Amino acid sequence: MAGGQVEKRVKYKSSVKDPGTPGFLRIREGMLLFVPNDPKSDSKLKVLTQNIKSQKNTKEGSNKPPWLNLTNKLGKSHIFEFENYPDMHACRDFITNALAKCEEEPNKSAVSTSAEQLSIKELELRFKLLRENRHLQRLHKQFVESKVLTEDEFWATRKKLLGKDSIRKSKQQVGLKSMMVSGIKPSTDGRTNRVTFNLTPEIIFQIFAEKPAVRQAFINYVPSKMTEKDFWTKYFRAEYLYSTKNTAVAAAEAAEDEELAVFLKPDEILARETRQKIRRVDPTLDMEADQGDDYTHLMDHGIQRDGTMDVVEPQNDQFRRSLLQDLNRHAAVVLEGRSIADVESEDTRIVAEALTRVKQVSKADGETTKDANLERLERMSRLAGMEDLQAPQNFPLAPLSIKDPRDYFESQQGNVLNVPRGAKGLKRNVHEAYGLLKESILEIRATGLSDPLIRPEVSFEVFSSLTRTISTAKNIIGKNPRESFLDRLPKSTKDEVLHHWTSIQELLKHFWSSYPITTTYLHTKVGKLKDAMSNTYSKLEAMKESVQSDLRHQVSLLVRPMQQALDAAFQHYEADLQRRTAKSGGERPNGYI
Amino acid sequence: MIFKIEDVTVYFPYDNIYPEQYEYMVELKRALDAKGHCLLEMPTGTGKTIALLSLITSYRLSRPDSPIKLVYCTRTVHEMEKTLGELKLLHDYQVRHLGAQAKILAIGLSSRKNLCVNTKVLAAENRDSVDAACRKRTASWVRALSTENPNVELCDYFENYEKAADNALLPPGVYTLEDLRAFGKNRGWCPYFLARHMVQFANVIVYSYQYLLDPKVAGIISKELQKESVVVFDEAHNIDNVCIEALSVSVRRVTLEGANRNLNKIRQEIDRFKATDAGRLRAEYNRLVEGLALRGDLSGSDQWLANPALPHDILKEAVPGNIRRAEHFVHVLRRLLQYLGVRLDTENVEKESPVSFVSSLNSQAGIEQKTLKFCYDRLQSLMLTLEITDTDEFLPIQTVCDFATLVGTYARGFSIIIEPYDERMPHIPDPILQLSCHDASLAIKPVFDRFQSVVITSGTLSPIDLYPRLLSFTPVVSRSFKMSMTRDCICPMVLTRGSDQLPVSTKFDMRSDPGVVRNYGKLLVEMVSIVPDGVVCFFVSYSYMDGIIATWNETGILKEIMQQKLVFIETQDVVETTLALDNYRRACDCGRGAVFFSVARGKVAEGIDFDRHYGRLVVMYGVPFQYTLSKILRARLEYLHDTFQIKEGDFLTFDALRQAAQCVGRVIRSKADYGMMIFADKRYSRHDKRSKLPGWILSHLRDAHLNLSTDMAIHIAREFLRKMAQPYDKAGTMGRKTLLTQEDLEKMAETGVQDMAY
Repeated sequence: MAGGQVEKRVKYKSSVKDPGTPGFLRIREGMLLFVPNDPKSDSKLKVLTQNIKSQKNTKEGSNKPPWLNLTNKLGKSHIFEFENYPDMHACRDFITNALAKCEEEPNKSAVSTSAEQLSIKELELRFKLLRENRHLQRLHKQFVESKVLTEDEFWATRKKLLGKDSIRKSKQQVGLKSMMVSGIKPSTDGRTNRVTFNLTPEIIFQIFAEKPAVRQAFINYVPSKMTEKDFWTKYFRAEYLYSTKNTAVAAAEAAEDEELAVFLKPDEILARETRQKIRRVDPTLDMEADQGDDYTHLMDHGIQRDGTMDVVEPQNDQFRRSLLQDLNRHAAVVLEGRSIADVESEDTRIVAEALTRVKQVSKADGETTKDANLERLERMSRLAGMEDLQAPQNFPLAPLSIKDPRDYFESQQGNVLNVPRGAKGLKRNVHEAYGLLKESILEIRATGLSDPLIRPEVSFEVFSSLTRTISTAKNIIGKNPRESFLDRLPKSTKDEVLHHWTSIQELLKHFWSSYPITTTYLHTKVGKLKDAMSNTYSKLEAMKESVQSDLRHQVSLLVRPMQQALDAAFQHYEADLQRRTAKSGGERPNGYI
Repeated sequence: MIFKIEDVTVYFPYDNIYPEQYEYMVELKRALDAKGHCLLEMPTGTGKTIALLSLITSYRLSRPDSPIKLVYCTRTVHEMEKTLGELKLLHDYQVRHLGAQAKILAIGLSSRKNLCVNTKVLAAENRDSVDAACRKRTASWVRALSTENPNVELCDYFENYEKAADNALLPPGVYTLEDLRAFGKNRGWCPYFLARHMVQFANVIVYSYQYLLDPKVAGIISKELQKESVVVFDEAHNIDNVCIEALSVSVRRVTLEGANRNLNKIRQEIDRFKATDAGRLRAEYNRLVEGLALRGDLSGSDQWLANPALPHDILKEAVPGNIRRAEHFVHVLRRLLQYLGVRLDTENVEKESPVSFVSSLNSQAGIEQKTLKFCYDRLQSLMLTLEITDTDEFLPIQTVCDFATLVGTYARGFSIIIEPYDERMPHIPDPILQLSCHDASLAIKPVFDRFQSVVITSGTLSPIDLYPRLLSFTPVVSRSFKMSMTRDCICPMVLTRGSDQLPVSTKFDMRSDPGVVRNYGKLLVEMVSIVPDGVVCFFVSYSYMDGIIATWNETGILKEIMQQKLVFIETQDVVETTLALDNYRRACDCGRGAVFFSVARGKVAEGIDFDRHYGRLVVMYGVPFQYTLSKILRARLEYLHDTFQIKEGDFLTFDALRQAAQCVGRVIRSKADYGMMIFADKRYSRHDKRSKLPGWILSHLRDAHLNLSTDMAIHIAREFLRKMAQPYDKAGTMGRKTLLTQEDLEKMAETGVQDMAY
């Protein structure tokens, strides 16, 4: 199968009765090609893999020749007769794989015949999720491709992921890279003096955001006065002039070229924005207010040259711009984030216009909102107090969103270990925490979901007892409390353990949610799941055996809870099976009476 | 909480109090009782301001028969706002517990620029033009003119305020600048004049140092404060510099050119008046003959800056005859300008005492000392007579007259230094003639004489015995408080070597060494990756910071830093710096984290707090020595040596270390806060330098932290941050109480134990 292509000598039959045309069957990932030996024959065939609905083949050992029967979606079947069974198997496996891949890829049109018609958007979303999340992709591969779960079942448990994504998009601002635009180094070809800049939309966005004058110039000049390429050439010419720090040359060039001068002059739009912003600044750090409050700044009053103040070369040169200013401006823009998240256009002009619009809106906001002012004052009065001299203030709770639970628990462990022994009220045992959790689950059952889902105190209890249990376990294991045992395992083993754990969770989730079994569909599903689980179980055993002896104990400690969980599932399965058979048997009078 | 210190019931707005706050109040009360001055050093982050405010307001309440007034001086406007914020909190508390009798009037006072609500006036660019724009609408002659000519523009707010006359009063309360503006806008009264008017009624006034120390301003604003006032100079570690600045003037080429232009204009005006209203000039002459420099009944809006010399040095004499006539005065000024111009044309640095300067001025330009002394008064009178409102235009001639008055008034404590160019930039000719004051005690003397109690307090006043000498006063109480720590919440370190074990320093011969620059950069790169939220770096000067950042940018160090945190920088543009600070705070608030690059002795180092998450680490790159070759500094050192027997080296080290301490001292605000301080220079490991740091830093500087390399510092920082993240008992443990409750205080009062275990 190397090279992603298989080529076999076959006879092609359009029907069972057809004697067949000898030729070559060439199978590639995307399609299937039959080339007859006789070039004049019209039985040349091309089938796209995604159009194949199913394949059948004759069994080895039956007295039939090795046939492979492919049915396409239109119901037409193509039969290939191979020379021998191994050839046929190779081809069959290849097609199976290709089909599986098809399923995974966005061209779900093949599968969409199943239950619901999925919108393209949703598919894209699923696909994006798979791409972004390596673990998810692996799970998907493992279960969906091996047909333990169907595509829909797999995603059904992740509805939240699918749904939330769209909300998240609107809520969270997209950030900007913190690299400076001036950090873009041109590439040279080494021989001539030519330099080439590679501009990505992101860079352009950043330039526009940091330099409103450039943005305005773009709107004014492109494309009426110059092409986009000319525009950027000019821009980088100006940047180059800056970098040489030769203000005389810059001034001379600016005098000649009025468009170039736009880039070299101080940014007026920026200056206006600055004036606007300075009025809204926190008064406790408003140094601008100082200017002129003490009368020392009065011309030539005070001490001029005693070495406390710094000397700087006169800055009145309008073609001078300092790196420091650029840095400040850049950081401010990064802090603001990408303000036009919804505009994902490649067109520079649209980006420029959208940015200008956003700025105008925010300016209008700034003028009207008294709320911001009020809030600022409120914050100021809050900060005026000294925090530890007064009773703790109750800040509003923010929902905790833990992205990576492992990270969270590991970072928390130091805290738990160092809790002062006598600290009362904090110490609760696991059972209490469990009790609390259970209670709140019961409550949810009774009253339905509320907001917040779980009371903060309960979740705090549960989390802290969890961290405590985890860290005590770790304390016993590791000599160094900061080093987790997992980190000591070889990377492959560690990955394997983690993967097993996630896959077991996935399986168990589906398993338990299938009960009580009411339909045959669920019945077969549970059967499949059970097989997959016992499969994993044996893999766990194998892994336990394979690790080095000094780690074996620890690994088995890690594996034990997984196995226990699986065992519980198996037990339930068996019990349920027995009950069902007993039930179905119960209809008949027990025994022979 | 409410407790008693001897006979005073103190109302303190929190449930708990630090022991050092309590002691601070006890000492302060002693000083108030003795009606004397005091000097108190207490570390930052121990709630100095609130302790001070609550004691003094409570003291006032306990003596209803002789109410004292509090004049609270801050360095900057934003500190003023902060102080008023704390006072508001306190006032609310006191009113809640005592009802209406605790009500006070507290105002912040600032310049027109910060208080004006007239949009047309505010449209002016800077303070001087705001002042001028205001005067153009409020001067008495302008208003008189408007009765005839309705086209003359006036300020409605001022008119309304004038109409309300004595009824224009502020109801009791605490007013920040914003509150004053809001009130003024609401009532249609001018907040600036209202606030100035209320100064005499207010119980608490918060304003800038200059309003009390600079005779030019104090002469107008603080004239009427009664003796029974308590004056507080907060953050007073730089007070000597403020004092000498207030009495120093310099003259440049541009000043002379401007002054010449002003004289031409004045000359034209005189001619115009002669033609149209000769009587007015004659009236002025007669007034001067009678010995009145100024009309007595000057309305507030007509006043401009007062005499630059100190009140008790101003002669109550008639203006000398040779400058009584306007034309003659203009001639004298012309001669003065000419002489100054000649003196500026020098190739060499010249240093002269005022006495010899005046005598050569007399012999060469024929201007006597007494004439010089009256220049200010004569110019003021003339400008009022000529009804000149664009004060900003006439600044150059005022500067020259201020110079003349000062040089004519003071014979000692000053020197005149003429430099053809700045030492550090010899290629740029920029001649300057400076009259520089060396004696800090001159400017503050009237304050000590006038008011019954003056409190000088700061987080860094070490060595505490130096200040009484510099300012020549005898405090009745002079104490330095230690900080009682609940836990070791500050972690000072001295970094002497980089990760390659090579020494780091900003010593002149080392500072541009690429190895040092790289090591400094690496230190920061490592630190930003382990320190959460805000990191602040201080450099010894702008030019050094500029250079080092440029190098870091080229070598990619800056990029590495930016991967962890956003970078904000103090520039020489104050507006930009303010916005950068605002953004820095927002970056820290939202969890993005940021680094702020700043300069010791800069505006940021002087007054901005980097408490809590705004500053978990401060790095002080180098020792912020003054530029020791500066002629003025030399002259000052000489003076200090001759007068106070203070050694040059000692003073320089003292000055550098107080600046460094000031920079790093801004990381903590309370004991719940924590922060690290890194002194990155090998010179800090020397005892003579280090020992000048304030005691509260030294007591946390462990011997093991005196000679660190980058990797060791990183290790210590990691450990420290981990330790600080743990919960702890706020009240302090094992008998060392670091947080006192009401009961603790009562118990203390019973047993009489004053010295709590530190």
